[in-house]
Parts: sequence; C-alpha cells; structure tokens
Amino acid sequence: MTATLKAVPEDAKWAFSTRRVNRNDVKAMDTDFAAAKPGDLILARVEKINQHRRVQLTTGRPSDLFAGDMIVAACGARYAPDQFEGVAEIDPEGADLLAGGGCIGRMRLHDERRKVSTRVIPVGRLLGASGAPVNLQDYAIPSQPDSHNIPVIAVVGTAMNSGKTLATAQLALGLRRAGWRVGAVKATGTGAFGDFNEYTDTGAHYVADFTDAGMVTTYLEPLDRIKDGIRDLLGTAAHKGCEIVVMEVADGLFQKETAELLADDWFKSRISGLVFACGDAVAAAGGAAALKKNGLTPDIMTGIVSCSPMATQEAIAATGIRVLTKGALADPAEATVLAVNAGAGKQLAAS
Amino acid sequence: MNQHTYFLNNLDTVTVSYRHRKLSAQVLFPSTLSGMRPLIALHGISRDTDALMRQFAPEAERTGRIIVIPHFRANHWPVFQRPTPNARPDRALLSLLDALALHYPGFDGPVDLFGYSGGAQLAHRTAMLYPHRFADLHLGSAGWYCLPDTNVPYPYGLAPAEGGRANWRHCKLAMLPAFLNRTITVYAGDRDIERDDALRQNEQVDGAQGHTRFERAQTYVQALRDAATQYGLAPQASFVTLPGCQHDFESCATQAGLAYLVAGADVEPAALAS
Repeated sequence: MTATLKAVPEDAKWAFSTRRVNRNDVKAMDTDFAAAKPGDLILARVEKINQHRRVQLTTGRPSDLFAGDMIVAACGARYAPDQFEGVAEIDPEGADLLAGGGCIGRMRLHDERRKVSTRVIPVGRLLGASGAPVNLQDYAIPSQPDSHNIPVIAVVGTAMNSGKTLATAQLALGLRRAGWRVGAVKATGTGAFGDFNEYTDTGAHYVADFTDAGMVTTYLEPLDRIKDGIRDLLGTAAHKGCEIVVMEVADGLFQKETAELLADDWFKSRISGLVFACGDAVAAAGGAAALKKNGLTPDIMTGIVSCSPMATQEAIAATGIRVLTKGALADPAEATVLAVNAGAGKQLAAS
Repeated sequence: MNQHTYFLNNLDTVTVSYRHRKLSAQVLFPSTLSGMRPLIALHGISRDTDALMRQFAPEAERTGRIIVIPHFRANHWPVFQRPTPNARPDRALLSLLDALALHYPGFDGPVDLFGYSGGAQLAHRTAMLYPHRFADLHLGSAGWYCLPDTNVPYPYGLAPAEGGRANWRHCKLAMLPAFLNRTITVYAGDRDIERDDALRQNEQVDGAQGHTRFERAQTYVQALRDAATQYGLAPQASFVTLPGCQHDFESCATQAGLAYLVAGADVEPAALAS
C-alpha cells in the first residue's frame, strides 16, 4: 500500500541516525510496516513521553520531545542492559523509541529501574523514487579496501558504563597530542551522538561509527555484515591518512556480537592493541580470564577501577596488567607507548 | 585542550603554553630553503638563547634550514631539563611543534633536535618518549643521561628503582628500539672536566656514567651502541670531541665549530636547492 507523500513535515525531527540520508531522495511513503527492515526510515508521531525525553538531532544537539512531535528515525533493534532490549519490528498500532539517537522498534525487556520506552505512532515508511524503502545502508560510506593494515587498538569492557567511551576518547586525545593522525571509531552498538561527539571533541582526525557503515544498530546483525562495516571504517580511516585507529566495541564481553567478534579469527588478527575497561578488581580478573579464553591479553586496563588506587593495586596484583587512569591515557607519552606497541610507526624500529 | 593554546606574535616568534607555563621560541628562517629538516636547538641552564641565536643564525642561512630556539624562562620553567609531574617541558615542545607546523614548512614530519647541557638532557629524554617526532639527535655536554641500560637503576638507566617514576621508565623502555634507530651524535669538550656545582654528583651517577661531562658523554655513546646491538639495530651513535673546549656553548661553537657541526658540516651552500 503506497500513498503519495506531500512532504515530510518541515518540522519533523530527523534523528542522528539519519544524518547521512539525502532528504531529497524521499519521494513517497507507505504503511507496510510489517515489511520494515532494519535501517528503513520511519516517520512517526510521538504519542507518550517516557524514558527518552529527547531525540538527538542530525545537527548534533538534543531536542526535547513533546507529544505530537513528528520524528524520522530508523527501524532497528537495541541492546542496552541498563535500558532496553528490543527488536526491529514496527507495530502499526504503536512502536517504541528504543534509542534517542533515532531507533524505533519493539521493546521486549527493560531495566526495572528505568521507565518504559517513549511511545510513537508510525505514520509511514519512507520510500525513494524507485518505490523502495529509504534505508541507511543506501547512504553508507563507500566500501574501502582495508589494505593499509592500519594499526588498531580495540577498547572493550565489562559492560555498559564501564568506561570504554571515555577510554577511547582519552586515548585518541593522547595520541593526537603526541602528533599521531588518529581515527576514533565505534565498531558496534546503537546509533547515538554521545560517543561520536565525545570522540570528535578530542580532535581525532577521523571519527565514525557503524551508522556510517549503514547500520542503525549492530545488535542482531549478521557477524559478517558487522565485520564488513568494520573493514569499511578502518579502510576509510587509512584512506584519510590516519596512522592508527582507536576502536570501541560496545557493551560487555558476553554481549552476543561482542563475544562473536572477540572469538573471530579475522577480528583478533586485525587488532594489534587491546584496552580493557572495568569497574573493579574482581571485574578486572574476570575480564582478563574471559579474554584469555579467546587468546587475548589486554595491554592495559582502565575504567572505573583506575579511579581508586586501592582497586588499581588489587587489579594489578590479580592480573599483572598495568592500569592507567584517563589522565594517563591522554598523556602523549603513555599514548605513544600504546601506539608503537600496536604497530604505529613501524619504520621507527626497523633494522 | 586549553592546555595547548598558542598564538603568533610575529613571523619570527611563536609562543605556546602548557598548563599556564609559556614557552616562546625564535624562528630563524633562511632566505632560501634547502629542504633540510628543521632543527630545534635547546639552551642549557644558563638559558642563554642569545648565544644560540648568534651561533645558529649563520648556520640557518648557510644550510637553508629553519632553526628554532625555544626559551624556557626561569619564572615559568624552574626545571626544564626533564619531565616531572608538575612540569612537562616535553609536552610544551610537542605543542611548539604543532604550532610551528601551522606556519612553517617541514614541521609535519620529524625534526632534528639539539640541546646543550641541560638542553641536551631534555633533548634525549623527549626523544626517548616521542621517537616518532624527532630524527637526528645532537647532544652537547649533558650533565648526566638516562642510559639505555636495564642494569642501571632509573633515572640513570632503565632498571626498576626504589621510589622511581615507574611510568617514565616504562615509557622510555618501551620506546627504546625506536629511539635507538636514529643518528645520535654526542659532543663534549676535552676540557669539560670540572666537577662544578651544576654537575649532578652522587655515587650512583658517578659510578654508572663517570665523574665528568666528558666521561659521561662517552659512556652514554657506548651504552647507545651496546643497546642498539642488543636490539639487532646498526649502532648509529657517535662521539665527537671538541678540542680545547670547556663547559660553555659559545666557546664550543667558536673554538670547535659546534653549531656548524650540528647544523650540517657536510652541507655546502652551493648545493642548496633554490
């Protein structure tokens, strides 16, 4: 069922996840929500404000939401243990705003400390001139061969809010201060501008996330597609002249896609440095043991654990791995050690 | 990020700041650029940048290379010879390079680094931390060195030391192969043998490095060559005696051609590119 769209309302709020979309490509819409695929753009009307009181705009600022607001966001899933779990399904009777960055789907689980999701009424699925749905994949960065083998320092952690994003940003800052051309990349997660902006603020030479590779979320995406996205992001970073990339992998070690990546031979061969963020010494020991099962050993640990000298001492005693504070990550001397150990500036020590 | 603000006073002076400590530098810009890497020349504890200017200005013109002379003023940098938790002259130098890169050619890659006395201390320690930012290293008569030797306790070497700054030692040790893989030339006058008040004197440094700057310079070069060999690198460190010279930069320059040697003894003006 396709109807001619006069226009997406001028005051519709286009969410951050749609930032790469050329709005002029939208020529029509339908209401075949049962056919909606992850990444399809959905025009929706805000019905009831709950957990998300704001939507993140393409311009990089949050916008307060009010009942009746029109938003454009992508159909997608969400995995956020301290918020929601949801899938990429659009119920024409009402859907869930799963992420403020612009992800609409069906909430299945929520953290009981949180409100339920903000509810929206789907208005239409946006279509292009050919009649096909407008999908984020159509606006992904051009595929880039990952042939430069640019060094990659991966940042993983115990869970959401363990300090991964801060570690990624601070390390990017330290590398930039040391004079390296650095890329800051988020490999997995659900599209939102918080991490993206935090990376950008460090002055990193290239900043991107999986939404640039055409995915509103990596949750429930096939591993091969996620890996293709990572290849494209790394290839683009190299193409733009970066000498090293700091790459955050979302959520905890046991999250489905993160666990699959950490067990994947290509991924393990592609990363040349590893930072592990955790909250305390027990988490440090447990995380190090879990990583060891995949043949991985962090170069350093950081995160909440590093705020406490006592917890730091315990973590070092339990794992033998250095613990760096955010200030140390941002120090060009420490950052250079991580960069060179990861293979940046290989010619420096070539005999 | 505000720790690294800079501003350009004029075409010949660049000022940066790091945590409210300012670092100004004079830029000697030759009338014809040869394409040689820029050279940073660091003063010693006398902070006599005028002497450096006098001796290096003709060299900038002769070689066609940009030579930059930073000034660590005493009120901002009571200690500039080495990074400390409270003062980071190394980071000020990085900020200076970033600022210079915005206005002058040649600063987007490694630059050559010279230091005399306390400046030589800062030069070799900074190059150890950021080997990717520096190419050839020229060190004149440092009082003491961080030897690339894991048998000598830090800070005189790179072995763990009781109460030592583990993070600095770790960084320098991790960067050692990259640091060693460059041309390092160490200069000292053969009359630079006074054990004056400015010379660090204790059992550890005397035992590990020698009693005078002349001895310590030679010890350092040998340690560099030994360490390079251990890492499978071709030793590229050499020692140059400055005949008849005591511990004074300008006399080293006028009597033994120190500035000429540092700027490039094998560079002929006629060979310069237009």
